[in-house]
Order: sequence, then structure tokens, then C-alpha cells
Amino acid sequence: MDQTLGDFIKALRNADVRVSSTEVVDAHEVVDLVGYTDRALLKNALALVLPKTSDEKNIYDYTFDRFFKFDELDEMEMADRNEAAGDPSIVPQQDDTAGQEGQGQGEGGGKGCAQRGAEGDGAPDITGAVQQAEMRESLSSLSQMVLSGDRAGLSVAMAEAGEAVGLRNIHIFTQKGLYGRRILEHMGLKALNGDISELRKRDNPSAAELAERLRKGREYLLSQVRDYVEQQFLLHADADGSHLREDILSKSRLTNIERRDYRMVQEMVRKMAKRLIAIHSRRRKVYDRGALDIRKTMAKNHAYDGVPFDIRWKSVKIDRPKVVAICDVSGSVAKVAHFMLMFLYSLNEVMPKVRSFAFSGRMGEVTDLFKDCDVEEAMSKTLYEWGQGSTDYGRSLQDFAELALNDIDSRTTVIILGDARSNYGDPGSEIMKKIYERAKWVMWLNPEEKNTWNYADSVMRKFQPYCHQVQVCNSLTHLERIVSSVLRSAT
Amino acid sequence: MAEQLYPARRKLPLRKQVNVTLVNPIQSPAGRMDSVEAIAAGFEMQGYITNPQIATSIYLAQNLQKPLLVEGPPGVGKTELAIATAKYLDLPLVRLQCYEGLDESKALYEWKYGKQLLYTQILRETLGDVLQGATGLSESMNKLHQFSDVFFSEQFLEERPLMKAMRSPVGAVLLIDELDKADQEFESFLLELLSEYQISIPEIGTIKATVKPVVFLTSNNTRELSDALKRRCLHLYIPFPDTELERKIIASRVPDISVKLRNELVAFVQELRGLDLKKLPAVSETIDWARTLLLLHANTLEPEMVRNTLNVILKFQDDIEMVGAQVSSLTSDAIKASKRPLGV
Repeated sequence: MDQTLGDFIKALRNADVRVSSTEVVDAHEVVDLVGYTDRALLKNALALVLPKTSDEKNIYDYTFDRFFKFDELDEMEMADRNEAAGDPSIVPQQDDTAGQEGQGQGEGGGKGCAQRGAEGDGAPDITGAVQQAEMRESLSSLSQMVLSGDRAGLSVAMAEAGEAVGLRNIHIFTQKGLYGRRILEHMGLKALNGDISELRKRDNPSAAELAERLRKGREYLLSQVRDYVEQQFLLHADADGSHLREDILSKSRLTNIERRDYRMVQEMVRKMAKRLIAIHSRRRKVYDRGALDIRKTMAKNHAYDGVPFDIRWKSVKIDRPKVVAICDVSGSVAKVAHFMLMFLYSLNEVMPKVRSFAFSGRMGEVTDLFKDCDVEEAMSKTLYEWGQGSTDYGRSLQDFAELALNDIDSRTTVIILGDARSNYGDPGSEIMKKIYERAKWVMWLNPEEKNTWNYADSVMRKFQPYCHQVQVCNSLTHLERIVSSVLRSAT
Repeated sequence: MAEQLYPARRKLPLRKQVNVTLVNPIQSPAGRMDSVEAIAAGFEMQGYITNPQIATSIYLAQNLQKPLLVEGPPGVGKTELAIATAKYLDLPLVRLQCYEGLDESKALYEWKYGKQLLYTQILRETLGDVLQGATGLSESMNKLHQFSDVFFSEQFLEERPLMKAMRSPVGAVLLIDELDKADQEFESFLLELLSEYQISIPEIGTIKATVKPVVFLTSNNTRELSDALKRRCLHLYIPFPDTELERKIIASRVPDISVKLRNELVAFVQELRGLDLKKLPAVSETIDWARTLLLLHANTLEPEMVRNTLNVILKFQDDIEMVGAQVSSLTSDAIKASKRPLGV
């Protein structure tokens, strides 16, 4: 039973529901309390302990239904079939094949079968049935289960086999065939095959018929196992795979990320922005002015015999970082710019005070564009509008000075993304100096490795003195680390 | 009734009950918390209509002795749930409304400064008596140390809601309302209380709950609560009710209303929730509206009357204008929908 719960929790985790170990303990307590008998109650009860946001509740509902579906569906089908076989009023109109199928039902259908045999088709069938029954005695247990259509038994055997071969450890989709085969072997496919060829060898019509039915049963079994493996793969491995990919993507260089992965990266960037904002967005600072907090002052000054020595103030200020981001979107950094823009966009969604600028030949503000359009549109518009000319840092910084220099004050953090390759033009470092003097923090992110800085037309050394921090930034991990430090220092 | 149906209170095998009398007759009136059905029935008698999820959450919160974090849009009865629980269990309700800047001196305890100051003055006056016969500084200090220190003692402690709930001799229902409005620091401050049912006061030590209170936390999700907090709580999300539940709620809260009008107005509100509105009408608004229509002696929804009373269910002028323009079609749709059997 605990294994079931453990598996379910693993499936939930795979589906991106965060379940901590205390919650696992809680879940066990819940199961101890409510038991497995009442499905609806169990679902409601576990829903209180495992998923903790409304998003997660949706995932939970879906996963719960999928995870506990297998047994229920099967029982239903079993019941249907038993009913059909057990109820003679349905069958008499049907011909011989139906009668044989009815025999195939085994225990459940046995009664109906016997009745039918006595009712209509006469002696030969009875002897055939008796012979078959004798033959069935000698078959392997798997064959018997297949013949008697014992679906519940089969699914139990399948689950056991899955357990035995460690289906839970399945990681990638290429393993599906392997595990399917192992499960079948474990269930005794070999014996089943042996039975079929054995029966075929006998020169007996009812034996041949039995062999034929076994063959059909085997096909059914194969498809069942395939389904089962598929289902378990989706439950256990799907997310493992995507976590693996996310991991790889976050470490690989932004320039190497393929277009088809953009969507995924976008999602990652959004997650990252959200996380960072959640950590850093609201910082409260006690102001040393405003109304006197008498209560706190008294409490604090008990130690000084009630003499108001250490004075406390009431006003508290909530600080939100103010960020100005400037992004080079020219050809040379286009790929990285793409991600930077993506990140800026995500920041914009959650933080009110971000002003974004883009430039190559000239610079323009894209804050409003980010506010109004969705991410794809905003990025393509930005690239179209500002990414055409060849890079001119001097000219662009001049534009920036006109647009936003007055807005930069001692609470502003300025982030600049660019490779500092100004095509041998004037880099405009005197404007950088002004920015540096006014801003709280200036940070330059360069997508190139350090050893190529100042090589050819790169003028990093001209900008470097006017930055508080200079960093290489060419993977998502870099980006996250840097932005986290920005948000921390910006408050 | 519940007592007869569910005679034996199941023992709690799960959590060791430290410092708590094992079966407290008031906290667990026999059988009241024994099954989800009993809870649902009991709450219904209080006028609070639960769905299976809500009833299960109360059942688990009580039996696992864990705090219950309730989230959901405003007006779906998060606070009411705690109030109904207090009534049902016949326990005092201690309510702590959260807001920005709330700190422990307003939530937990405070020193009675005035009295403390008086005490120091009295002490100063009697110091001579205390130190009588002492010669030299070190001896005086020794004497002073022997003197019992009551400056930071329970006598000077002013109880605030959290402390009150912890020290209530019969137990209590503690409602920490709109936790998302408080600061993150306050949230962390609550962690000890929520997991151990104890609080630490630096000057005195640790205070444990005499009887563990039933704790409810509510949040409107204006800010994501921390994982640490969520981990310690059961998490219940109350969405807007479906048609069936809402009908039941109206029937229980506004019993005088006719079935026809009730079904029509519920259908109307359900339709409104499908529209793109600034603020969707919640259950509390439906109840208000039902009362309004009852006062106006309405028998059925009429477009004109709906238009005149829209301000009861919609709280923004934009919304009222938008809905006002299509009142007639919405009303006729609602009347049609109210006649359809449920679940179709």
C-alpha cells in the first residue's frame, strides 16, 4: 500500500507538483486515517496535503485520475463481460463463435456456457469443450489466464512483472521496447509460446482452435503490455526527461540553443524571473524619519532606564528595485539578445519599474512595446525596429542620454548587454561616465568570453572603468546568477 | 443526532499528544469530528453548506491536528468557514486580522510598559531596604541578583490574539485572516506556532498551548505564501460554487425566497461568472442580491429590476455598464437555464 502512495507521489513530482518530505509524511498519515476504500474521500483528502496551489490542484486532479484509473476501468470491463457471458438471454441468438467466446470467459462465464451447450447446439460441442477443458489443465498459468479472459489477473500479473523488472526506473522513451519485452518474459511469454506450438502439433481440431484463441489472446496481451508501459512511462519518466533537458539547456551557451528549444527556454526564463522577483521584490526598510513610534521606543529604552536614547520611527518604506536595461540587438549579439529580451519581458510582467531600451545603430525605448504585446510579438518588433543598422555605441548612448539620463538616480540599477564592438566608431564613453556617476549600480554583461574582450573592434576597456561590475553572460545559469545579484543590490 | 450516529470517537493513532489532555470533552464533543458526513451535516445545521472537499478538510484538520490554509477568491466563505467551525465545536473564536506592518507585539504579546515603569520606580524606592547591610559593590550586586526578577514576567504580559488562543483553557478556533496582507517576516514568525503549537518569548521562554487550537489561515493570494508555511498546513482551495451548491447556500441563508426566483438568480450569477468582468460576483454577493430581491417582492427575474439592482452584485462601474447593456438577453438565458435539470 505504501508503495502505491510512494509511486503516486513520484508521479506527482514528475508532473511538477512540489511535494516535500514532510508532506509525504502527512500523506501517509492521511492514508492511515481515511484508507484506500473510498476513492472520492481519498482524493479530497490527499488534495489537502499534497498540492498547495490552485495550479497544482489541477495537475493533481488529472494525475490522480490517471494514476488510479487502471484498476477501475478494468473492473468495469470485467463486469461488463461477465454480465454478457452470464446472461443467457443475450446469447442464444448468436452463432457458434459467440458460444466459444463465452467459453473463453472461464469461471465467470462458465455457467452461461453450460446452459447454452445444453440448450441448443448438441453433443459434439460438449465433447469439444470437455476436451478443451482437459487440455487447458496442462497449460501454463499465463495461457490459462489469457484463455479465461481473466483481465484482473492479467493486470495484476502485469503490475507485478512491472515491479519485478523495475519499470519505475524507466527514463527515456527508447527504453519502452526493452521494458515491454522484459515484462512479457517475466509474465511467462515463453511458456505461452510453447503452449501454442505444442497445441498446433496435436492433430486435433479443438486443439487447433485453442491454439488460435491463444494466439489472439497473445496479441491482446502484447497490446496491453505496450499500453501499460506507455502509461507508466508517461507517469514516471516524461518529466525526468524534460528535467534533464531543462538542466542541459540551462547550462549550454545561449548561442547554441536551437530554435526548437526556444519555447522551453522561454518557460524557464519566466519561471526564473518569477522566482527572483518573489525573493527580492518587496524589501521593507525602516525610515529614520516620520512619526515617532512611542511603543517601540519605550520598549527599546527600558535598558536605559526609560530615557529615550534609542529612538524608533513608525514609517516603513517598501523598496522595489528600479532597473534600466539596455540591450544590444545587432547581428553580432542577436542570439543572446533574444534571451535577454525574453528575460526583460518577464521582468516587466512582474516588476513595475523596469525601463527597457534596445539599440544597434540608434537607441529606442521598448518599455511600452513590452507592456502591450505578447512576448513573441514584442521581441520581433524590437528586433525589426532597432536591430537593423550596424552597431554604433556612441550614437546609441547619445540617444539614451536624451531619452532617460534624467531618470537615472541613486536608486537605479543599469544593466547593459552588449559585446562592446563598436565597429571602430566612437564608443561614447563620456556618457557612460555620466551614467556611472548617477546610477547606484552599473553592470555590463558581455556574451563573449573574457579572452576575446578588447580584441579587434571590441572596446570593453573603454567602458570597463565606468561599470561597477563586468560579467560574462552566455548561459541561463549566468543570467540567473547575475539578475539575482542585481535585485539584491538594487534594493 | 450526530452523537447517536457516530458513537465512538476514533482514537488518534498518529500524533503524540504532548501536553494535551487526551480526550478533551469540549474540543471533541463525542463524534462530532468522527466522519466527513457528520461534519457536513453538522455544518449544514449551522447554515454553512459544505462540499465534500471542505468537509474533508475540516475532518483532516481536526484529526491530524494541522492548521488549515484556505485560499480562494474573495467572498466564497473562507472566513465564514472558521466562524462556522467555532460554532460547531462550541469553542471561542479568536480572530487575528492581518495587515501590512503587523508584528508580534500586536499579534502575540506586549509588555505592560506603564506598569513596568511603575515597578522600576517602586523598586528604586525600596532598593535601600533590599540592599540593607550590604557592604561594598560586589556584595550589593550579589544581593540584587538574589532578588527575584519580575520585570519580565507574566504579570506584565499583555495577551494578544495568538497568545490568547494558545492559553485558552478549553481550546479555541484561531482565525488568522488574510495572511497574504501581512509581511513575509510575520509569516516566518508564525511557523513555530503552526508546527509545534508553541511560541517563544525571549524574556520568558517557551509557552505551549494548553489545548491545541484549531487554526485557520486565509489568503486571497495577493502574494504567494512561502513554501515553508504551506508545508506546515493543509491546503484548501475554495472556488466559486457550482449551481447546485449555490442553490443550497441561498436556500439555507435566505430561506424565505421562492424556489423559482432562487434558481433564476443563481443561474444569472453563474452566467455572470462566465463573463469577462473586473470583479466576479461571489457567494456573498449572491446572498445579498437574493435578500434585495426578496425585499422588493420579486417573483421572477425581470430585466428592469435586474438593471436597478446590479450594483448589489457588481462592484465596478465598468462592469455594471457592460452587463447593463445585455441584461435582457442574460435574464432570459438565466430563466431558461434555471429550468434545465442539473448536470445537463
